[in-house]
Amino acid sequence: MREVTPRSWPAFVVIGIVLLYAFVMLIVPFATVIYSALRDGLQAVVDTFTDANLQHALLVTLVLTVIAVSVNALFGLITAWVLVRQRFRGRKLFDLLVDVPFVFATPIAGFAVLILFGREGWFSPTFVPIVFAYPAIVLVKIFVALPFVTREVQPVLESLSPEPEDAAYTIGANRWTTFRRVLLPEIWTALLYGIVLTFARTVGEFGAVSVVGGALEGYTESATTFIFRALKDRNDTAAYSVSLLLCALSVIILLVMSRLRTRIAHRA
Amino acid sequence: MSIKIDHIHKSYGTQMVVRDVSLHVETGELFVLLGASGSGKSTLLRLISGLLTPDHGRILLNGRDVTMLPPQARDTGFVFQNYSLFRHMTVAENIAFGLSIRRKPRIERERRTAELLDLIELREYSNRLPNELSGGQQQRVALARALAYQPTVLLLDEPFGALDVKIRVQLRRDLRAIQQRLGVTAILVTHDQEEAFDIADRIGVIEGGELLEVGTPRALYERPRHPFTGAFLGTANLLQAQRNGAVVHVGNAHLPAPPDTEHLSGQAVSLFFRPEEIALSSSPDTAEGAMLGAGVIESLSFAGAVVRIGVRLVTTEESNGSSGALLQAAMTSAQARALSLTVGQQVWVGVRAYHLLER
Repeated sequence: MREVTPRSWPAFVVIGIVLLYAFVMLIVPFATVIYSALRDGLQAVVDTFTDANLQHALLVTLVLTVIAVSVNALFGLITAWVLVRQRFRGRKLFDLLVDVPFVFATPIAGFAVLILFGREGWFSPTFVPIVFAYPAIVLVKIFVALPFVTREVQPVLESLSPEPEDAAYTIGANRWTTFRRVLLPEIWTALLYGIVLTFARTVGEFGAVSVVGGALEGYTESATTFIFRALKDRNDTAAYSVSLLLCALSVIILLVMSRLRTRIAHRA
Repeated sequence: MSIKIDHIHKSYGTQMVVRDVSLHVETGELFVLLGASGSGKSTLLRLISGLLTPDHGRILLNGRDVTMLPPQARDTGFVFQNYSLFRHMTVAENIAFGLSIRRKPRIERERRTAELLDLIELREYSNRLPNELSGGQQQRVALARALAYQPTVLLLDEPFGALDVKIRVQLRRDLRAIQQRLGVTAILVTHDQEEAFDIADRIGVIEGGELLEVGTPRALYERPRHPFTGAFLGTANLLQAQRNGAVVHVGNAHLPAPPDTEHLSGQAVSLFFRPEEIALSSSPDTAEGAMLGAGVIESLSFAGAVVRIGVRLVTTEESNGSSGALLQAAMTSAQARALSLTVGQQVWVGVRAYHLLER
């Protein structure tokens, strides 16, 4: 077995550098947000959340995120299944395309939506507005977090033999029963992990959301665009308070992810 | 609950994997499809189960045409090589799966599951998960799961392939006993001829997607019609011969023609016989069976209960092809000891039972 306990001074130096890096890059910003939010006392934070515009922004963020996460969970799962269980021409290219949102600058996705559905766009809607309205925000939220569910479920599906599914078919189970009772119990942890990642990515999206939503106060303004406006208006307490809320959400997400990762490792 | 397969074809792209296979398996029969890997035997089983759809032909289960029906509507039980149990379900839940999707009442499900747990002798394991069982136990559970809803036919795809030899022998005998007790019609796929001989009522030999011939284990072993069958089911000796009238000419030797080979009269044939049918003797007077001539022992190898002997025929030169043919003989260690056989020794070669194959 390899020796992993550090014994030499270079090893201690490397560990020190890594810890310092993590402290500066991760802990300091987090601590700054907490300190700044609470600088004027807890009451100032509580008062911030009584603002009707902020409450609306939080509701918009939550509802649109839940919609985007639901769509991505469903289509991410189907995409993973198609990529693993089906063989067709162009499958590898399709597999590659799934990762496009990872490498795309998110405002570009916003511009694409403007080009497609804006007032002068190729598919400019007649009755229901898309751009500077909720549909465009949902669209870009879906886009930016599209790969997560697929990329979490795909390797787990690949590791599963299709034979238990075949066994279920021969026993008499239809496709839905087979999915629900045979496949889903095997992949649900990975699916949930993908959903949590999708939620984390979607809830915090700023660039594309501000491009297509316009951050209209009391309408398309979301939690992240509210922070941006509050900073511009020099309303630091409000900005830091909402940031604190998003940070707390991130910590919860981290804990959930940690538990899920343990479960996935245990199942594997 | 018979199985009838009528001129079935299946290809993957340009590769034909099952070619014009027709077969009739009788009610209560255990039929073994025997073939090498890639011969198309598992594909044929999947076609019967509905996991694959044929390009042409028909499949009838108990007289019902199921060719275009999905697997769910065929009422077959399928046992896979790698067990394919539902690993998040307990043993009892696995067995009851088919009953629960048929919405059988809980009391009936529990009673039937208990019966099957007794049948496979795993009652005390009912609450275990599959990964807490040995390979043999898992395959028993897979068998019980496939039998739970009393399927029309049982299909088994190399069910003992992943098990070690000792467990394999025990489990196949248990399977045979269960199949006979329940009277269920079954097709088992294997590449292991010993396994096929041990449990089959009849065997179908499949090669290159073609069902070459079907028969009882003894008939296929002793009197195959196809040289491939002869060679696949054990070591085979083949000598070029000519059947004229009631006599078979093999080099200078003349052997009485087997009674069931009249249709080969006047034809060039192959004389087929198994190693254990060769009788060696030290003089022509004591030779047993039909005399082939003299030979020289080229090799001797001890294989436990039997000794394998390589004998080269030497007396058929200037004849029709059997000149210098190397034969594979086998005899018990006691017989070999009695003859004091050594490499290079000259012996007389007789053959007790033989058969003719079309050439």
